[in-house]
Amino acid sequence: MAQREVERFERIVLPHLDDAYTLARYLLRDEHDAQDVVQDAVLRALRYFDGYRDGDARAWLLAIVRNCCLTWQRRHRGDRFVVPFADDVAEHITDSRETDTLAIERSERAMLERAIASLPTEFREVIVLREIEELSYKEISDVVGVPMGTVMSRLARARKRLASALGLDVQEAS
Amino acid sequence: MSCADCRDAMNAYVDDELMPDERRDVQAHLASCADCRREHDVLAATSRTLKEGLVRHRAPDVLKARIRSALAQPTAFDQSVPPPKRSWLRLAAAGVMIAAASSALTFGAIRRPPAQRTATADVLTSHIRSLMPGHLLDIASTDQHNVKPWFNGRLDLSPSVPRLDSIGFPLLGGRVDYVSGRSVAAVVYGRRQHIINVFSWPSSDAAPLAPSVSTQKGYHIVHWRNEGMEMWAVSDLNAGELEQFVARFEASETPTGAR
Repeated sequence: MAQREVERFERIVLPHLDDAYTLARYLLRDEHDAQDVVQDAVLRALRYFDGYRDGDARAWLLAIVRNCCLTWQRRHRGDRFVVPFADDVAEHITDSRETDTLAIERSERAMLERAIASLPTEFREVIVLREIEELSYKEISDVVGVPMGTVMSRLARARKRLASALGLDVQEAS
Repeated sequence: MSCADCRDAMNAYVDDELMPDERRDVQAHLASCADCRREHDVLAATSRTLKEGLVRHRAPDVLKARIRSALAQPTAFDQSVPPPKRSWLRLAAAGVMIAAASSALTFGAIRRPPAQRTATADVLTSHIRSLMPGHLLDIASTDQHNVKPWFNGRLDLSPSVPRLDSIGFPLLGGRVDYVSGRSVAAVVYGRRQHIINVFSWPSSDAAPLAPSVSTQKGYHIVHWRNEGMEMWAVSDLNAGELEQFVARFEASETPTGAR
């Protein structure tokens, strides 16, 4: 086995595991599905690693994760819709003296997550790639496989929907 | 620039994706058009809210462990690497590289005595295996008074099970595991999304040993010896917090030793 290649892969690709998992969480809206798909995507990435030449490893991995997510969705279409939920051991042990500010922050965050979750996939992915992963338009265009003009118009429409879902588009009095 | 052109370019403007001259045109238009300015402010606020509010998830330990163990499989790479390249790589590798690469678990072979090398490999393997679904806990309880007696009759030792939840290391439970050819106690703690396995078994060496940290495959492993017990803590938690954990663990309770 080419142990050295695996080690190179681990060094170059594995640091982006959090980003890969974040994208999968948003695309699939389920933590267990996201884990399965990211594992599959990483093993796929290892098999395609020969084809990877010094580019941006993160965008390269995200493209594979994105394709694996879409394939997974097509295969499991309509199976279920799971609302994201705090489910980690550590998250149960929150401070019981949670302040009102924290509670408000938490509910705002929940509203935001709901707004994102209700976007169609093609809008959700550009939002996640831009606002969380902070990819350039060119990189998003490569990951999603659409022209930059399409990236731009999807971003514009997605943000418009989110602005109205979050009540940010109300005209201010001033 | 017309309002329509300005609105078309506005997302690219907010994302700083415009050419300098386009950027100047948009800026000039915004300075003179209140409607477009309002539109811009909504867009900028939306983008800011998303950037600040959206969760950046952390890949769970379980996922990392699954990926690492899949990558360690000899078949993980087979489909993309033709045999000639493999032999070339073998030739190119220096002697130490071959020794290190022949098994992922020979890390530290150069400076560790064989027994300890095996134990390090064993506790790491056991830690990774424990992260697979359904392998972590034989007894799940956050109460030391449930976990500690549970080991009675299952092992010839009574492991330390201090309460450390007040400093952010909640007890999750325990299990009996098999390390270095014997049954050992594994007591499990959590830290945020990290899992800490504390292994203990009676030592043949009575001399105490101060905790020392080693790192292997992204996991930190702390080994120490106290009152005739071999003690190991394994986690992908950062080394500093793991050492802090070990210090508090030691301070809270000393092992009662073999019975």
